[in-house]
Amino acid sequence: MSVGLRAAQGTATSDDVAVPAPWPVRMRDVVVRYPNGVTALDGVSLDLEPGEMVAVVGLSGSGKSSMIRTLNGLVPVTSGTVEVGGHDVTAARGRALRALRGEVGMIFQSFNLAGRATVLQNVLVGRVAHAPTWRTLLGAHTAQDRAVAYEALDRVGMLDRAWHRASHLSGGQQQRVAIARALAQQPRAVLADEPVASLDPPTAHGVMADLRRVNRELGITVVVNLHLLDLAREYGTRLVGLRAGRVVYDGPAADASDRVFEDIYGRSIRPDDVLGS
Amino acid sequence: MSAADVAAPVRPGRAGRPAPVPPARPAGRWKAAAGWAAVLAVTALTLAPGIGVEVDLGAIARNWRNGADKIVALLQPDWSFFPRTVGPLLETLQMAVVATAVAGIVSLPLSLWAARTTNPHRLLRGAVRGVLNVVRAVPDLLYAAVLVAMVGVGALPGILALVLFDVGIVVKLVSEQLEAADTGALEAARAAGGTQLQVNRSVAVPDMLPGFWNQLLYVLELNVRASSVLGLVGAGGMGLLIDAVRSFYRYDQLSLIILEILVVVLVLEAVSSAARRRLL
Repeated sequence: MSVGLRAAQGTATSDDVAVPAPWPVRMRDVVVRYPNGVTALDGVSLDLEPGEMVAVVGLSGSGKSSMIRTLNGLVPVTSGTVEVGGHDVTAARGRALRALRGEVGMIFQSFNLAGRATVLQNVLVGRVAHAPTWRTLLGAHTAQDRAVAYEALDRVGMLDRAWHRASHLSGGQQQRVAIARALAQQPRAVLADEPVASLDPPTAHGVMADLRRVNRELGITVVVNLHLLDLAREYGTRLVGLRAGRVVYDGPAADASDRVFEDIYGRSIRPDDVLGS
Repeated sequence: MSAADVAAPVRPGRAGRPAPVPPARPAGRWKAAAGWAAVLAVTALTLAPGIGVEVDLGAIARNWRNGADKIVALLQPDWSFFPRTVGPLLETLQMAVVATAVAGIVSLPLSLWAARTTNPHRLLRGAVRGVLNVVRAVPDLLYAAVLVAMVGVGALPGILALVLFDVGIVVKLVSEQLEAADTGALEAARAAGGTQLQVNRSVAVPDMLPGFWNQLLYVLELNVRASSVLGLVGAGGMGLLIDAVRSFYRYDQLSLIILEILVVVLVLEAVSSAARRRLL
């Protein structure tokens, strides 16, 4: 399968590689049960189209974090199938799984940067799947990998911080670097797990706007977990609601009423369900 | 003014309510007392005549003149002995530095293999840890004694003994530091499709380096101290000289050697604490 994956991008040159064809996501009857007996996903079936910006909404513990992690195999499924870009994630192991992950960027709530490393080193982590191990071990990145990293940093407005230590940046800047790391993968899809939950409102909007630009300008499929209804409505093109590991809503994000969110949350809307601005 | 007058303004709204009472203290307070009793009992047993180590404080009083002579000699360092100490002192320092460098090169990958977060293979990790537990269990002087028999007298067995001793310490401390660190960045690198080697190199290594340098500075200090006595078993450095002057009862010369080691250790401590401040 990894052969097919390589072949798919084998024809790419430095000109068109920045805009790779986005990937669809297909989940069928996905169940995730953890060893401690907790059922995180309880039969989820979803079809996400290439180039969509999907907001996955649910309370904490609704299974949205597990769901997004099944898409790149960080969380193994108990049963069911997950296909990303036509590749079966659930069956992929070893080299094939790494090749697949290399095509899918991920952004985390707590940024997950190597704090002592420079911004550039962190962004170059996005190139690991595209580089031979010896190059990573020696830190001998190719000129092309560096160019991709600079381009990614420039896209989120952080190029001038390339030589700063990641831990010296503010939260919003760190999340931008994390987005640049995902972009440096030249991904077919980007997964974002509560990307703005650790940020203050203005910064949160800035980061969400960055994600929207990734989706609109590069056409990359974006799946973003959120728990705030106004962010989901404003930035998502499609809304998926999860409750207790099941999909309870699936439709356009813009016209999801408060009633819809009350349905998803299983309770009435509270002030802290909204970010404000 | 009564106590109630003072308390009243501090705790408004408390009037009339009963004084707060915490929940009952958890049982098990006897454990602390039992612990102390055990320590006392063990101490008494080890000192008891017949079964213990038979500490005889009277020996100090009986041999006081012996001890006083030595102290007087130690208080009068033989400065003229200095030229003969320079060579061995430099050898001791060289052994310490070389051993620290070699130990650093060996410990870096071993630390990553010994930590759960950077090595998911349970068996490989267990093997690395098991071997290192054995390595750490043997004292450095014993390594030196055995290695002298294996490779001959000189600095080489001393260096090898120090390397073994250092690797045991550094790998333990650094791998524990790795396991205590946040795993978010590791997860991100894994999500980007990296092999475990790539994940460790690109994310774990940059974050572990300051702590790693810190532990290396620590073993460098230990090495200077340790390498000055390894010569007692023929493993080079100051120890050979210490053995010589001690067997001729030249406590005045021994005194100079002790002073020199003291100065070196103090200087090294100052340098490494300055380096640490820059690192962390």
